[in-house]
Order: sequence, then C-alpha cells, then structure tokens
Amino acid sequence: MTCPSLELVCPAGTPAALRSAVDAGADCVYLGFRDETNARNFPGLNFNNRELAEGLDYAHQRGAKVLVAINTYPEAGNPGPWYRAVDTAAALEADAVILADIGLLDYATTTHPGLRRHLSVQASASNPEAIRFYVENFDVKRVVLPRVLTVAEIAALNKQIKVETEVFVFGGLCVMAEGRCALSSYATGISPNKNGACSPASHVHYEDEGDRLVSKLGDFTINAFDTNEPAGYPTLCKGRFMAGGKTSYLFEEPTSLSLGTMLPELAEAGVTALKIEGRQRGRAYVAAVVQAFRQAVDAVHAGQTPPLMNLENFSEGQQETTGVYEKTWR
Amino acid sequence: MTPPFSPVLLAGMALYPVPAAMLQPALSAALLIIHRSHPDVFERMGEFTGSVILIDPIDLPYAFLLTPDGRAPKLVAARNHPTNEADAVIRGPLLSLLDMLEGRLDGDAMFFSRKLEIEGDTEVVVALRNAVDGAEIDLTADILSLFGPFAGPARVAVKTANHVASLASRDLQTLADALLAPSMARHDAHDARLRKISDKLGDMDKRTRKRRPEKS
Repeated sequence: MTCPSLELVCPAGTPAALRSAVDAGADCVYLGFRDETNARNFPGLNFNNRELAEGLDYAHQRGAKVLVAINTYPEAGNPGPWYRAVDTAAALEADAVILADIGLLDYATTTHPGLRRHLSVQASASNPEAIRFYVENFDVKRVVLPRVLTVAEIAALNKQIKVETEVFVFGGLCVMAEGRCALSSYATGISPNKNGACSPASHVHYEDEGDRLVSKLGDFTINAFDTNEPAGYPTLCKGRFMAGGKTSYLFEEPTSLSLGTMLPELAEAGVTALKIEGRQRGRAYVAAVVQAFRQAVDAVHAGQTPPLMNLENFSEGQQETTGVYEKTWR
Repeated sequence: MTPPFSPVLLAGMALYPVPAAMLQPALSAALLIIHRSHPDVFERMGEFTGSVILIDPIDLPYAFLLTPDGRAPKLVAARNHPTNEADAVIRGPLLSLLDMLEGRLDGDAMFFSRKLEIEGDTEVVVALRNAVDGAEIDLTADILSLFGPFAGPARVAVKTANHVASLASRDLQTLADALLAPSMARHDAHDARLRKISDKLGDMDKRTRKRRPEKS
C-alpha cells in the first residue's frame, strides 16, 4: 500500500548548498537574506537579491520550490528591513515566505496577497485555536509545528485544523520554547528572535586547556569536553552545569533530532511536509542528509520500510534522538 | 591534537629541511587562482577581509597565514606557527582541511568529532568556513585550468597520484593497526577488568543499601 508523498523541505545557507539540496532531491529549499530578518544570521551565510534570483531559477528549472524565511521579530520602530525582505521575496517570485511576527504577516497579507505564507516554527503555534487564528486572519497555508508535540498529538491536531502542517525531522534541537527563548539573549545581549543569531559567533570563545576544550558564551562557561569526547554547539541550552553538587546537562544533551524511522507514522498523522534543520551547515551535510531522507521518503511513499540512514557523524555530539515526537521520558 | 598516521605526516617529515620561503611561490600562485576563480569567497568574508587566519595542518611542519582581502589576498607559509600574529586559528589534519575547502566535509561535523580545532575570534572562522563552503572550490580543476592544452595529460597524472596516495594511506593504516595491536589488546583487557570491578562495586553498594536500616 502506498502513502501520500511527504514534501521534503531542505536548508540552504549558500547558493552552493541550494544546488546541493536540489540535486540531492529536495522538493523545497528554504533560505534567508544576509541580515537580521532571518533566524540564521551568521557571518558569511545567506543570500543577496541576485543569489536568490539565481537560486529560484535553478530550483524552478528542476521542479523544486524556494521558501524565504523572514522569521525573526522586527525591531520596535524599525520594521523597514523586514518589510523590504517580504517585498523582495514577492518581487522575485519566491514560492512562499515563512513568517512568525503578526505585524509582518499582516503586512505581507495586505501588500502581497498573492504571496503564499507559511507560519514559522518561531511563532510556536501548537494548538488548534492558535493555528486557526493565523489561518483566519492571514490566510496562512502551512504551519511549521514547534517541537513540543508527540506524533499522536500531531495526528489529533491535524484532525482539528484545515491547513498543511510541516514538522522537523532532522537536525539541531532547541529547548521547547521556540521563538520565546531568551537564554542566548541574556548571555550576549543579542537576541536569536530579533537579531537572528543564537549564540552569536562574536561572543563564542574556545579555550584549549590541554586535556579539555572549554567553550564559553560571553562571560559564561558552557561546557568542557575531554580529549576525544564528541562536542556540541556552544548554546546555553546544551551547556553542562553544576547543580546539587553534580555536573550534568541540565536542559538537554548535545544531540540531533532524527526521525528517519518515524516517517510512516508522520505520514499517517496527516503531516504534509518534513523539514531538515541546518542552514548554518556545509553543503556536505546538506547533500548527505537530503539524499538519505529522499530515499526514505520515496520508500515510505512506496509502502516500504525506510532504510537506516547512518547520519550520526553529522549529528551534534554524534548522538541522535526522536525527542518529543516519542517523549520516552514520560 | 595528535596527527593521523598518514602519507601526509611522512611527507611533512620529509619536507622538514625545506624552508617555508621555498613554498611561497606555489602558495601565492594557488591563492591567485582561487582569487580569480572564486571572487565570491572574498566578498562573503564581508567585514572580516582584513582579518588574519592561521591555518595549521597538524601533520605538516608549516602553518599558513591567510588574509582574505578581496583586493590583495595573502597566504604566507610560516615555520613557527605564529598564533600571536593571527586573529583566529583553524587546526586539523591537512587532508581534512582540504576536504572542507572543497566541500566534501562539513565543518560542524568535523568540530563535533573533534577533528577540527579553532582558537581566537570565532566569528572570523565561521565567516571563512561559510565563504569557502559556498564557493564550490575544486583545487585540482582550478590548478589544471592553468595547463591549457596539457590539462588532459595533467588530469591523468593527478588521478594516478591520487590513486597511489590512497593505496599508501591504506597500507599505512594497516601498518599502524599492526603496530598498535599489542597495546590495544592490553587496553581492552584493562577495560574489561575495570568493568568487572565497577560491576562488583555496584553489587556491593546495592547489598549495603539493603542491609542499612531505614530511618524512622
């Protein structure tokens, strides 16, 4: 028996990564501009207008779509850069914009009604009432669900809403406060939700202490890795801290989400699209992960068991989890 | 960081008597080719074009100081690993650094597996990593493009050299495994013994807890 085909939404931080994603079988590529309007505002990353236009051409010629993430919250009194990003995406005929802020959704709806709108994970809409609000007011066509729901909860939610849902299936994980986390902002003064950079590289330092590697964010020591111990991102949520006389990962371990084995359940739960995290990653990551998920999605569509992926080497801390989708800790 | 036992390590030892200055013409030529073929690398460096990055292949007796200035980029070989002259340092085995340069390896994955070390200004390193990854650099093709009508035979020569290097790498790994086998056997035996002791201690701890009277 075949399942409905799941759409594969893949990350691109550079034009080269976009081409790698499309060549590896992405149905959609999502990307951002080179500024604070997107949540991966890192040095050397992202697209200027010319690169977006070329990327759209490349993707469209091969049957793939391009979604533009404008998913940070505009700075109070300075919505200009965010409005311009929406205008540019519309002018260049992007297939959709991924937005989180209500004001920006309103701007896009009234200024560019023909531009398809997706609700970003950063909006953290996780219940039918919240999702209906965005659909009714801004005609949102797809909602990217925050990583707080089990597959059973996603299935129940999909029965109560009339809009496409997209879920993350691979890559870095945040603590369960997407769009609302202030840990990095507290430590650095730079907000992931407004400036687009969690643990900005300008505030990250590594110190080699001979037998261990110490990572710091601003004035905070986040972790210390023994020689040859797999490392993780220098984010506070994945820091190792001392509490009650014991040093441990208080929030979450450096681990990547990997739902390769759960794709049939996600298809059954009525999910439309699968998202791979990692616009900050290199094209080797993009090519390998997209290719593995392309095979898995095609296998599920054909009613077969998805093959094992062997993507541990690309995972943070070289560990994988099914995270909240199974919620095994309950 | 310990270098892997590889043909590069042996070549590095053989290169030891060669002064860094002798590498300079080849380095400058390679940088010129990259600068001409991939100007986007330098454009993507943005505000960091004036930064100095020390690239330190741990299996060579040299390190390289890179200034990714779009107008006048510089790549200088140095023998004494001058970290104090650099804003940031990237350290790893030469072949891994080349794989990263050509987009075959993901920088984050290398960092997670501890095959890559960075020091200094992390922002400069991140900018360089992203700029290089986005450029689709193919060093062999770029250099072969200089050979004009001789590019074909040169490509065959490079392919043969790569094949020989791959065989040498495999043979050296076999040799390393053979040399390390007695130590690894001792290591495994110690591990097994430690596990037994640890299990025994765990059992003793459980028994002691059972015997301990509960507080009223």
